[in-house]
This record gives sequence, C-alpha cells and structure tokens, in this order.
Amino acid sequence: MTLQPSPAGARPRVGRRSDPGRLMQEILMIAPAVLLLGCFLIAPFLLSFWTSMTNQPLVPRPTPVRFIGLQNFVRIFSDPLFWTSLWNVTRFTIWILPVQCGMAFATALLLHQKIPCRNLLRGMFFLPAITSMVVVCVIWGTLFQYPSGPLNQIVGFLSAGHIQPIDWLGDPNWAMFSIVLLSAWQAYGFQMIVYLAGLQGIPDELYDAARIDGADAIQRFWHVTMPGLRPTHVFVLLITTIQAFKLYTQVAILTQGGPRGSTETVVHYMVRTGFEQQKLGYASAVSVILFTIVLVIALLQRQMLRRFDV
Amino acid sequence: MSDIALARVVPVERSGNISLRLVQTACIFIIALVVISPLFMLLVASLKDDRFQILADMGSFRAFWVSNPTLANFQEIGHFSGELAYGRYLVNSLLILTVTVASGLVVNSMAGFVLAWGSLRGKAVLLSLVVALYVIPQESIIMPLVVMMSRAGMTDTFAVQILPWVASPLYIFLFYQFFAQLPKELYEAAEIDGASIFRIYRSIYLPLSLPALATVSILMGIESWNQYLWPTLVTQTDYARPIAVAIATFFGQDSIYWDRAMAASVLMMIPILALYLAFQRWFVSSFVGSAVKG
Repeated sequence: MTLQPSPAGARPRVGRRSDPGRLMQEILMIAPAVLLLGCFLIAPFLLSFWTSMTNQPLVPRPTPVRFIGLQNFVRIFSDPLFWTSLWNVTRFTIWILPVQCGMAFATALLLHQKIPCRNLLRGMFFLPAITSMVVVCVIWGTLFQYPSGPLNQIVGFLSAGHIQPIDWLGDPNWAMFSIVLLSAWQAYGFQMIVYLAGLQGIPDELYDAARIDGADAIQRFWHVTMPGLRPTHVFVLLITTIQAFKLYTQVAILTQGGPRGSTETVVHYMVRTGFEQQKLGYASAVSVILFTIVLVIALLQRQMLRRFDV
Repeated sequence: MSDIALARVVPVERSGNISLRLVQTACIFIIALVVISPLFMLLVASLKDDRFQILADMGSFRAFWVSNPTLANFQEIGHFSGELAYGRYLVNSLLILTVTVASGLVVNSMAGFVLAWGSLRGKAVLLSLVVALYVIPQESIIMPLVVMMSRAGMTDTFAVQILPWVASPLYIFLFYQFFAQLPKELYEAAEIDGASIFRIYRSIYLPLSLPALATVSILMGIESWNQYLWPTLVTQTDYARPIAVAIATFFGQDSIYWDRAMAASVLMMIPILALYLAFQRWFVSSFVGSAVKG
C-alpha cells in the first residue's frame, strides 16, 4: 500500500524565476491541503501516541489525566479478548485472500479476452464494490436467514438434504466464514479492476513473440502473464490484507463481535473499549497497535516490490 | 491491431479457439448472473409490500419475481421528519457527498499541481510526506479525532462529516502523478505568455485532467457515501445523520422490517449508481493501476 513517486514525476522545474508573487500563489494553492491534513490527520495521529500513554477517559472528569507510560499496552497484551480479536482478523485474512483475490483474478482473466458486452460485464462485476457495506448487510442478512433462507435452501438442494441448515451468523464455527463470504462478494470488484489494469499493462508484443516461439496458451500464461502481473499480485494481496485487518462495519452490524467472540475484530475491540467502556487512552493504544500492523504490512510490500525489481 | 498481425502469423490457432471462446463467454455470463443476483433480489424485494412474504419468497424463484409491484415501502420510509425520515437521511448523505467531492477535487488537485510543477523549495519533502501519510488508516486516528471534534463543539454537524475527509494523501498523489505526466511544453508556453501558476492550472491543466477528475470523483464519492464508523461516532440526532447509519438501525430491532430495510437500501443505491454510470466512461482502470507501480 505504499505509493512511490515515479521517476517521470521528478522533472526539473520549468521556470526557476522565483519571484515572490509566484511563490505566494503556490503557497496559497497548497495551503488548504496542508492545513486540512495537519488538523485532521497529522494532529490526531500524533495525539493518539500521547493519549495511548495516559489514563484519559472519553468524557473529561475532574480528576487530572495521568501519564501512565506503557501500562495500557501491558493491559491490552494481557487481555485474552484482544488476542482473540487479533487471531480472528488473521483467520479472516487467511480465508479472504484466496477467495477474494482468486475470484478477482479469474474474472479479470476472463474479462480480458475478446468477449461480447465486455464493458457491461465489467460494470456489473463492479456493482457490489460501489454498494455500501450497510446495504450489503441488509442483502446478506436475508440470504443468511436460519433455517430456511436462500443459502440454506441452496445448500440443502445441492446436498440433497444431507446437510442440515446452517445458522450462518449464529454458530460460532460459521460466523466468521459467513462474514468472509459477504466481504469477498462486496470487495472483489475493486481488485478485479486493478488486475484488469495490470493485464492491460502487459505489452501485446510479448504474447506475439511467445506465440511465434510456439508457446501454447498455458505456457504463455505462466511465462508472460504471471511475471507481468507480479507487482499487481503484490499490491492486491497487501491491500486486501490491510483491509482485512481493518474489518469492522459488517461485524458491527451483523454479529457485534459474537457469537461468543468468534467475530470480534481489532477495530471493533477498539471502538468498544473507547466508546462503550469510555477508556480513551486504552483505545488509543489499540489504535497505535493497529497502525503498527498496517505499517509493517506496507513496508513488507515495499520490500517485496524491491526484490522483484520493478 | 495485434489481432490483424496475429491472424497472419498463426491463422490455425484462432479458428481452433472458437469453442474455447464460447465456453469462456458462457462462464463469464453465468458468473456475472450469480454475482449480480443478490442485488436484483434486493430490488425485487423492495417492491413487495408484505415483509413476511419477502422472507418466505427468499428460498425460491419468487425471490426474483414480483407479481404486483408496489412503491408502498418507499412511501412508508420516504419522509423528511419523524421516525422513518429516510428522505431526509438521503438528502443529508447527498449534501455530504457533494460538498466533500467538490471541495476535495479543488483542494487535492491544487496541491497535486504545485507538487508536480511548482518551484517551492520544500516540494520534495512535502511529496514524501504525502506518500508517508498515505499509510495511516482512518481507523487509527478516529479515537483522538472524535475527542478533538467534540471539544470543538462540532458533534452532530455536517462539517464534522466533511472536513476531515476533504484532503487526502491518496488523491493528492494521484493528481500529482497525473499532472506530472502531462508534457512540460504546455507549462513553458503558458509561462512565456505571462500566465500565473494558478492560471496555468486553472485554464490549461485542469481541462485536460477529466480522467483524473472522474476517477477521483468516483473513488471519493464511494468512500464518502459508504462512511459508517465515523458518522456513528459523531452523529446523535437526525439533523445530520447519513442514510448508512440510519439503515443500520434496522438491525437493532427485535424483528427486522425487511421490506423497509430493502426499500431504504435501494434508495441508498440510486445516487451512487448514478454517479458511477455518469463518470464510468472516464474511470480509467489503468489510472487506478498507476498507484500499484507508482
């Protein structure tokens, strides 16, 4: 999830005439962005580090806020529920990576062929991605109905009645899997678009050359398509991982972290400790941990891109 | 182009591929139908009046068919005040979306332009700062931000839902990248003519950046429209409550009014679908992909 300035962007400046009027204009043009980012991104970000080392409550109390060092972190790391939430998002990630990225990759490959109504199809596949997660929850909330909702009907039909109806959201063994299903359906359209862009980026000449050398479709796939998509794979895998670690909305709406903590996530844990238990300092410490996880994943991507030499 | 060349070089393979191509086409259409069917089901269900019938129909083909469509659900929830003021929530969301996207386009494109073509001394530092800030997820700044906003007395306003998300490192970077790729001769010619940097941005580069503007509009629009966590934390009354938060309240009830929830969901889909269809032509996928390789 890192952005890298392209070498093309690092052009030499055109006019070196640094008259004060021009400089003033440039400052005025960039000022709104700098001010807004400063107030609403940098300030709260820095503040979260400070708050995470205090016992600050959500609502101000007469007792002064105390600096308590790393106590919040110690408490978080000794709370089994935190480890459950971390394990749950890890589980979610492990499941959603193959499902969502596989679906996105397969549809992109199919769509990249010369088929009729390509643009219409592309638009259709992208529709779930523009659908709000709240709406997705309404839709899948009905699909998951127990015991006779559509999904259970399909499962019953396919197994000729051998599989008992599944309580998709109410069974601790199934709840996270159900969240994976609806999340993959909602988000894979975006990954598909990224894969399509990657496929378009592979020059046709490479395929032509491979054909002339006598490579069949499978060989062309492994020796032209896959190497050409390496940076795209890295990007898609890591952006999906980061999104997975931020899992919140669908869980907050459909399961509230239950049943029995089986869908508790890091962000949900943070919101609960911060707003229901009103422990702002504690919740800020969770947010610092979340940021650290995302940062590590982003740095990992940078490393991998370097290794692939792209 | 390459197809014509191909036909000359390897004519055999193309004719042999017809059956394969048919299978591929059939596959993709079937997948598309499966993927789209939940959305179609939503639309159909929103036109049925009986909420128990909706659930009963779900397990069969009747989920995709409505014999006597009615707009009763929409009439029921489309009020502008009272308990089911989804008309109002929709207008709230539209207002937030419009102001966020419009001001976001201006603020981020100006910043991107200065980063690409300006002569500010700290430009390189600013650019790497923007890139670094991109890593910070919204979720990890939300705790202190809520406290900041409530201290500033901004809870339950439109401003609190708009201001924090106007400037964004991602969109500044996308604009920067787009502007930097345009030929520098444009800039030089205009500068010789004595145009100021704002003038060059406004009358030369901006009209050329329709793909960038469309892409950022769609991405920002989806993001703003689908905000959920933030508005639940900063809205308490109907005054500025967006439709996403309002729909989620259906789930808090003992027995969910699926008919109303479905109608409200359809209501929520319409504007974002219109935005997507309007700008889709310029929604260059390669532009999204440009963030990959940088």
